[in-house]
Amino acid sequence: MNKQSNAWDQISTFLYPVAFGALFVVLWQTGLLHRLLGADTFTLPLPGRIFTIIEENTPAIMGNVRATLTVALGGLALGSLIGYLLGVLAALFSKWGKGGLTLASAFNAIPIIAIAPILNNLTKDFSTDANIRSMFAKILVVTVTSMVAMSVNAYRGLTELKPFSLDLMRSCAASGRQIFFKLRVPNSVPFIFTALRVSVPGCIISALVSEYFAEYIVGVGRQIRENIVLAQYATAWAYIVVACAMGIALYAALLISERILLKGRG
Amino acid sequence: MNAIRWKKFFASPKWVTVVWVLGLILVWEIGATVVAGVKRTPENVLPHLYQIIGSVFSSQKANSTQTAIQIVLSNAWITLMRAGIGFALGAMAGFMLALLMSLFSAVEKMIFPYLMMIQMIPILGMAPIVLAITRDIDKSRIVIAAILTFYPVATNTLSGFKAVEREKRELMFSLAASRYDVYRKLLIPSSLPYLFTGLKIAAPMAITASILVDTLQGGGGLGCMMSQSLKHAMTIYVFWQIVFLSAIIGILSYQLMAWLEKLVSPYRRSGGDFPATDAKEPTP
Repeated sequence: MNKQSNAWDQISTFLYPVAFGALFVVLWQTGLLHRLLGADTFTLPLPGRIFTIIEENTPAIMGNVRATLTVALGGLALGSLIGYLLGVLAALFSKWGKGGLTLASAFNAIPIIAIAPILNNLTKDFSTDANIRSMFAKILVVTVTSMVAMSVNAYRGLTELKPFSLDLMRSCAASGRQIFFKLRVPNSVPFIFTALRVSVPGCIISALVSEYFAEYIVGVGRQIRENIVLAQYATAWAYIVVACAMGIALYAALLISERILLKGRG
Repeated sequence: MNAIRWKKFFASPKWVTVVWVLGLILVWEIGATVVAGVKRTPENVLPHLYQIIGSVFSSQKANSTQTAIQIVLSNAWITLMRAGIGFALGAMAGFMLALLMSLFSAVEKMIFPYLMMIQMIPILGMAPIVLAITRDIDKSRIVIAAILTFYPVATNTLSGFKAVEREKRELMFSLAASRYDVYRKLLIPSSLPYLFTGLKIAAPMAITASILVDTLQGGGGLGCMMSQSLKHAMTIYVFWQIVFLSAIIGILSYQLMAWLEKLVSPYRRSGGDFPATDAKEPTP
């Protein structure tokens, strides 16, 4: 392949999606999309209007974004930490641990909506402040949902070693501790990112869903629902756009940190 | 003879699972006992398991005509049908898009970034627009389940097409195989495990979506009954039964896909050891 076609390859990788997105926005703004879908501007407002609303309500939206991000990131951090520790435990006691993880991953198939109301009820006594106790319940929901992916991947990262690397460590008379910290833990780092790629989008979605069931009315997800109920579709759309932006920003941050941290790995 | 069989059982992974399940039941029951001691209405927070099981077999009517389990089962059928139809449509659309993206690289470049972005869009947020277009709550549930199924299937199938060894493609090329033959005999069969990985991720999600959309509006379905039960419009045990049923359905839907995979490609090693989390291999 010559240089020129390579350059075009790179340009088009960038240009095509941008062109597609621009075309989509133009279709939307000019109302052609509405005609295609048979929708009206009440339920599907024009992009210009959505952005005007975001601009006008920035303080209120930021407050809700902060609430949702606290839940999502707090739950993600807590869940990933517990998940990794569970993975370590499972790797240490492999026979029992593996069975436990298989069962845990079966729980992954349980819908969040079944977990959210239970945890909501369980944490009723946590605090007298409705905001704090529903925040706690929401963080727990996100913790539960992001725990499983991390524990399974951490287990795989700690046990799926490169062939003969364990033999090498043993033949060098490495202690169990050394094997763990110098071989298993570094080996698990790429797997941590695999788990995060699943759980970062997951943590936003479970934060949004857990807000639907929470007692205290706050958060981006709850605002989407409240505004739909009030038939304020334009405001609801503004929050949908904000939610998407949040998800994309977090995922981008993950990819960037992955690139930096995993630099120099074969 | 019997002793040997028991020994085998204790050494098998099944025994490990049994112990884990028993342990979980124990933890639940301890929790329920504690809750029963402190709360005035423990059944709202954490009832004993036998109370939930008892409510399944109780003949007491939860509304004017049906018992609790009848309500749950009849609504489960509604939810499952919608989830199933949406799942099938979404899987087909996802597969077709993956095929298109693999056939024309321009399409892939254009759409793939957006495919990743769809993941970030909250499902319930899409409900009103889908409702406005279809003007029918039933159809919108199906569409939303389809959208949720669509992207894991599309991205996984595409990576399946890409994972085919270069040598195999070159062999097909040197044998002057037509494009159709390359796809029919090489790419599609070897992408099957990836397609099923996508399906395994999507199946519980389609069910979750369907239940979630139920809570938006009336008209039956598990989610609708769940929110009614939480508001104490009927006995709270309807809620607990739905929690357990949706967990069982979620796990079974995954198992169904694993079983289908074995049926379609019995000679292949099935996916990973752990469900739903073996989506992507770490990038080297």
